[in-house]
Amino acid sequence: MSLLKIDTMTQRFGGLQAVSEFSVEMKGGELMGLIGPNGAGKTTIFNLISGFYQPTEGNIIFDGNPTAGLKPHQVTSMGIARTFQNIRLWHDMTVLDNIRIAQHYRMGYSVWDSIIRGPKYKAREARILEIAEELLDAMSLTDVAYEFPKNLPYGLQRRVEIARAMSIRPKLLLLDEPAAGLNSADVEDLIKLVRWIHDNFDITIFMIEHQMKVVTSLCQWIKVIDFGATIAEGTPEDIQSNPAVIKAYLGDDNI
Amino acid sequence: MKKYSLNFVMVVSALFLLSLAQFGIISNYIQAVFMYVGINIIMATSLNLVNGNMGEFTCGHAAFMCVGAYVSSILSVMFFGKTLGDPMLPPEMAFLVFPVIILIGGIFAAITSILVAVPAFKTRDDYLAIITIAVNYMVISAIENIDFVGGSRGFQGMKSTVWAMKDTLNGPWMLFWVITFMVFTIWVIRRFITSTYGKGVNAICQDETAAEIMSVNTNKIKLVNFMISAGLAGCAGGLFAHVVGYVNPQSFNILKSTEAMVMVYLGGMGSLSGAVISAVVFTFLMEVLRSQSLMDFLLAPATFVFPDWEPSAGVIKWVMIPLLLVLIMQFRPEGIMGNKELSDVFPKLKKFYTFK
Amino acid sequence: MDFIIQNILNALQWGSFYALIALGYTLVYGVLRLINFAHGDIFMVGAYIAFFVAGFLLGPAVGLSPMVTFLLAVPLTMFLTACVGVTLERVAYRPLRRKGAHRLYVVITALMCGLILEYSNLAVLGASRLKFPELVEKVIWHFGGVTITNLKVIVIVAAIAVFAFLNFIVTKTKIGMAMRGISYDKFAIPLMGIPIDAIIVFTFILGSGFAGLAGLLFAMSYPVLEPFMGMIIGWKAFIAAVVGGIGDIRGAFYGGFLLGFIEVGVVTIFPSTYRDLFAFTILLIILWMKPTGLFGMPQSTKI
Repeated sequence: MSLLKIDTMTQRFGGLQAVSEFSVEMKGGELMGLIGPNGAGKTTIFNLISGFYQPTEGNIIFDGNPTAGLKPHQVTSMGIARTFQNIRLWHDMTVLDNIRIAQHYRMGYSVWDSIIRGPKYKAREARILEIAEELLDAMSLTDVAYEFPKNLPYGLQRRVEIARAMSIRPKLLLLDEPAAGLNSADVEDLIKLVRWIHDNFDITIFMIEHQMKVVTSLCQWIKVIDFGATIAEGTPEDIQSNPAVIKAYLGDDNI
Repeated sequence: MKKYSLNFVMVVSALFLLSLAQFGIISNYIQAVFMYVGINIIMATSLNLVNGNMGEFTCGHAAFMCVGAYVSSILSVMFFGKTLGDPMLPPEMAFLVFPVIILIGGIFAAITSILVAVPAFKTRDDYLAIITIAVNYMVISAIENIDFVGGSRGFQGMKSTVWAMKDTLNGPWMLFWVITFMVFTIWVIRRFITSTYGKGVNAICQDETAAEIMSVNTNKIKLVNFMISAGLAGCAGGLFAHVVGYVNPQSFNILKSTEAMVMVYLGGMGSLSGAVISAVVFTFLMEVLRSQSLMDFLLAPATFVFPDWEPSAGVIKWVMIPLLLVLIMQFRPEGIMGNKELSDVFPKLKKFYTFK
Repeated sequence: MDFIIQNILNALQWGSFYALIALGYTLVYGVLRLINFAHGDIFMVGAYIAFFVAGFLLGPAVGLSPMVTFLLAVPLTMFLTACVGVTLERVAYRPLRRKGAHRLYVVITALMCGLILEYSNLAVLGASRLKFPELVEKVIWHFGGVTITNLKVIVIVAAIAVFAFLNFIVTKTKIGMAMRGISYDKFAIPLMGIPIDAIIVFTFILGSGFAGLAGLLFAMSYPVLEPFMGMIIGWKAFIAAVVGGIGDIRGAFYGGFLLGFIEVGVVTIFPSTYRDLFAFTILLIILWMKPTGLFGMPQSTKI
């Protein structure tokens, strides 16, 4: 049984067809890339997978369960986590709090517990804190646990955002242009981080990215989108020499 | 031991205040002022949950106070008063039953907040403001049409519960209960907001979409937050009714909601200590501005130029308070504490108390 | 049948006031994304200005006839009320705009300014109500069982004329286009060489001027003035504007009349004390079903 199976998914906004018959099947453990020129519909696909939009046509089946009609937080609790193109951390809360909150679906206690704070609350909160601290430690973020993201350098903020997504213990991690805005040193760190995550966790990673270096060094399989439609897919070597891909990015000789 | 210093100081000051009241050292008026401080603290901190921590813009907090006030008053009269038939309970039970009455008022207020919470799932800001203002008017309007509780003439008789308590054991009971509920409110809010559950509220405020995608059930959290906020406001309303001894729907109109808003924005959105401080400051300010002689003094230049003009303190107060808030918005919109707590500004204070 | 027609006419007249005031709310919201909560009180100020203008013109110093007074009072009231609106904008809203203050702060300021206007009026003029002089001699026409006064006709015609005028400005003139442009992108507009402050002042002039007109007409129709007259009418007109779809003047216009019809309709069936309750409930239900209003455009978030 596959982890993620998307079947000819189409998304229309009024008259605009943002995504056309996108299909993919991931068995689990892949590191897949999604590339294409700006405005091709890549983030829309992520929004569809994470439940923010409902597809006009087509199905998304995650771990055997359809995601149709589910709200984003329910889709997330099935095991899908994502990061955003523009970092969307909660800037007026500490890094540690950012990571704690992502565990909301696993809190396991009610509002009464949070006020009365009996043994169940204490045990659950301790566990939430434990998971958060483990993750921060594993991703070398312990030093900044009590800082506010707005005070951190951009590269570190990205790392925090990925840590926050990881705290959901996802089976599928969607990374939306994780290298955007990073300098070359940070990009190297990012590549190492993603590879480390892939090697050390039972996880599938699906990544949107523009920087070819990141895509080619990490992804085993790449899908190329343009104007909502899939124009090519294959290994990094296939894609780099594929004429349709080159045309989409660079245009062809007839101007 | 040092960690309990703040608790110790609070208990001692409460006892001190209560004994001053009991032995008549402070007048009834001063006692009333302290009780208003307590009630305003509950009002401000509960509104802060929604307008501050969650960043919504509601303008109808008084509606929940109104519901709480009327429900608890009706119960009081039923149990201990004579207006609606013979008292159902003996006066000795007043001590046990009174807090329950207030809490039931709060529960009804919490249920009323569903009217506001459900629209809040889909709308924000301006639209929510309208809905809350409309609900405020609706609640008042509905009660004005219920003759059974006196309609627009008002309702009284709930003081019987207070007399019942006093008859059984003499003491400044209302002051005691106001202090108790005030501490209860702060305790509930503090605990809720510092738990991971409560932090979801702040997450919704700062980035609702991210919260939703990071597994926060935003609708549920919004509902819970609204209900806690309204429930506590209902308790404040119930206490208010029993302190004054009389309620009428117009005491809970947009002016009361505005008072609550002034306190929240003056204190700083999202800051619990800010709301407490500004409630205290605001209550004293309201009392000070009530003084006609002070008003005459402040407006002496104007009355000099227009000798026929006799400004009334009660009216000018309501020019000055909005003006105060306008000036705050212009020059220090983040309020007294911003979104920080007292312990963030004075970290040394952290040594003196236990709540995280 | 007569009963229905009579009530329709009443609803049209009553709704005209809401429509006139709602248009002002929606103009300002459309341009500034600000709910000018003080607008209902500007309506009240307009009524009071009309009172003093009429009193002055009728009085011994000038001694004009009621008809001439009326004709002069219309532009004078509108002009003076517009001045009040513009002053409010310059003194209270513009400094916040300059600072780039969060919209919430401006809304709170607006709410407070409304209260200041109400209570200043109460403080200065006292609680006694003022009686507005009769300016236009009442002429009553009967059609079968239906009565209509010339004043009612004036009010309804005024509302329709104002709407037509505003619609023309917003859709057909350059300045109207600028107003619409500002509502889409406040930052790009000055970069295109459009003086944003001047447009905003113009918007306030229009909105407040017509609120003043509404005040004058209201004072003529219901000649008792009191400081809080603007409060509840203002809130209701505002809700009507939102239900219609705030930001779109068609929404304000139809929303105002919709509210007029709802209220008159309710009062024919239920006791009048239920009027406000039902009006608010129905409006809330409409808002609940269509959160952006009847004519409004849904706003979507992009992530």
